[in-house]
Amino acid sequence: MTAFAKLTLVEAKLFRRNPTAMFWGLIFPALLLVALGALFPGFQEPSEDLGGQRAIDLYAPIAIGMGLATLGLGAVPVYLATYRERGVLRRLSTTPVPPLRLLSAVLTVQLVAAAAAAALAVGVAVVGFDVPLPRHPLPFALAFVLAAASLYAMGLVVGSVAKGASAAQSIGWIVYFPMLLFAGVYFPREVMPDGLRTASDLSPAGAAVAALEDAWLGTGPAASSLIVMAAFAIGAGLLAAKVFRWE
Amino acid sequence: MGVIDVENLTKHYDGRTVVDDVSFTVEDGEIFTVVGPNGAGKTTIVESIEGLRRPDGGRVRVLGLDPLRDGRELHEQVGAQLQESQLPDRIKVWEALDLYSSFYRAPTSWPELMDRLGLAPHRDAEASKLSGGLRQRLSVALALVGDPRIAVLDELTTGLDPQARRDTWDLIEDVRARGVTIVLVTHFMEEAERLADRVALIDGGRLVALDTPAGLVRRAAAEQRIRFRPSEPIDDAALRALPEVSGVTRDHAQVTVTGTGDVVHAVMALLARRRIIAEELRIEQPGLDDAFLTLTEHPDGTDRIAAVPNPSTEVR
Repeated sequence: MTAFAKLTLVEAKLFRRNPTAMFWGLIFPALLLVALGALFPGFQEPSEDLGGQRAIDLYAPIAIGMGLATLGLGAVPVYLATYRERGVLRRLSTTPVPPLRLLSAVLTVQLVAAAAAAALAVGVAVVGFDVPLPRHPLPFALAFVLAAASLYAMGLVVGSVAKGASAAQSIGWIVYFPMLLFAGVYFPREVMPDGLRTASDLSPAGAAVAALEDAWLGTGPAASSLIVMAAFAIGAGLLAAKVFRWE
Repeated sequence: MGVIDVENLTKHYDGRTVVDDVSFTVEDGEIFTVVGPNGAGKTTIVESIEGLRRPDGGRVRVLGLDPLRDGRELHEQVGAQLQESQLPDRIKVWEALDLYSSFYRAPTSWPELMDRLGLAPHRDAEASKLSGGLRQRLSVALALVGDPRIAVLDELTTGLDPQARRDTWDLIEDVRARGVTIVLVTHFMEEAERLADRVALIDGGRLVALDTPAGLVRRAAAEQRIRFRPSEPIDDAALRALPEVSGVTRDHAQVTVTGTGDVVHAVMALLARRRIIAEELRIEQPGLDDAFLTLTEHPDGTDRIAAVPNPSTEVR
């Protein structure tokens, strides 16, 4: 097995052994849908406030966006800072395998986890609440990949500038909670005031939820949403590469 | 030419010179020890050998390779053990060994290595939950899993209890017996004295002395001290007349003679000739510790290296 495959396998095992990551990263989006749909009266009824849609239809893409934000801003920065703080990256740089390989393995595992969490959420929505399967599967996948890229790139920036694991967590949260707001976790984008809605459109989490929703239930993601995510992915990616420190 | 050549190595941090014109050669198959007080620049020197630091001046060659340019090839042949923990949480002993062995072109068999280092009973334990001694064992194992020609071990026994420390020393001798050249960084003189073929003494970023442990002690010309209670009176003059003796002091019935070279033999011979028995005889030989203090000119004990092991963090 190549070093990268082995690194990825080991990282996957470590993820599996981490109950916090398993719960928040993998299960929580689906669980949120179950809780909202089953416990809140009216979530499964079409609502005039929401333009005739059911709240559960809107919360399905929101849950996926939230899952991505949780992994990208909650887990990725902490991984990065911890591995730097504890000398894991440094130790690796005394082997023939470049430490970048480990970061790639970590991101791969986090992406696979996010994809699994999304699949779980889609499954719950479709099976449990009669939400249709995504109408535009490929654009849906594209929106998912861009959303992951933009949120993970922001996580990499946070992990790069933070001094240690606890700082990475604190800074990550400062970025995380506005992202939840923009994603529509507290109230969906459909009922946001105009100003907030615009801010949401321009944020990676808001653009992610908009694109996922349009690809799932609408006529396909708007170019503007995809562009916002791509811009954040590239911008934050370059910034992370610039401010990143191995030790 | 040795396996490691360091020529005029210099390194500054923030305008402060931490390594100042250091040169030495490590020969194939030896245990080469770098000793010095904390902050002397030892780690910076070995990190330059490992290619982790870019020297500001001088030249480093390891097995004929440039650590910065030929890093990948160098890391195939030089195993490293760094200070402090270096593994992710929750990784198990066997997983770490299996993972690290996948990094190398021609690794040694990790199950065999695990066995040899006594880690087999702990194969499924999480690395971060091992005791200090076992954790060090694992980090030695990870340094060796690539079947290197050189192993660089930094502060390997810091924080270990005396038993774990001695076990680790046996381990290092065992590794050397298999033909691996060892560069060992330590601030324990006892460790250098026990293991080293040669000792590089670093102080304030400079190479103060480079010699065998015995050579360093001789070079420091530290005095030996003989204390005894003579069974019959003996006058100071007779003792002082011996060329090896440098001083005689008395405290009630106890005589203390200091001197260099064969002073012990000379004093004993004198006493024997006069049929005097030296009761409660104690001889204090200078060690590397004393040589270190003499050679680094910190006689008052400032920056003194730790002669007493840290309290144990581990019981095996």
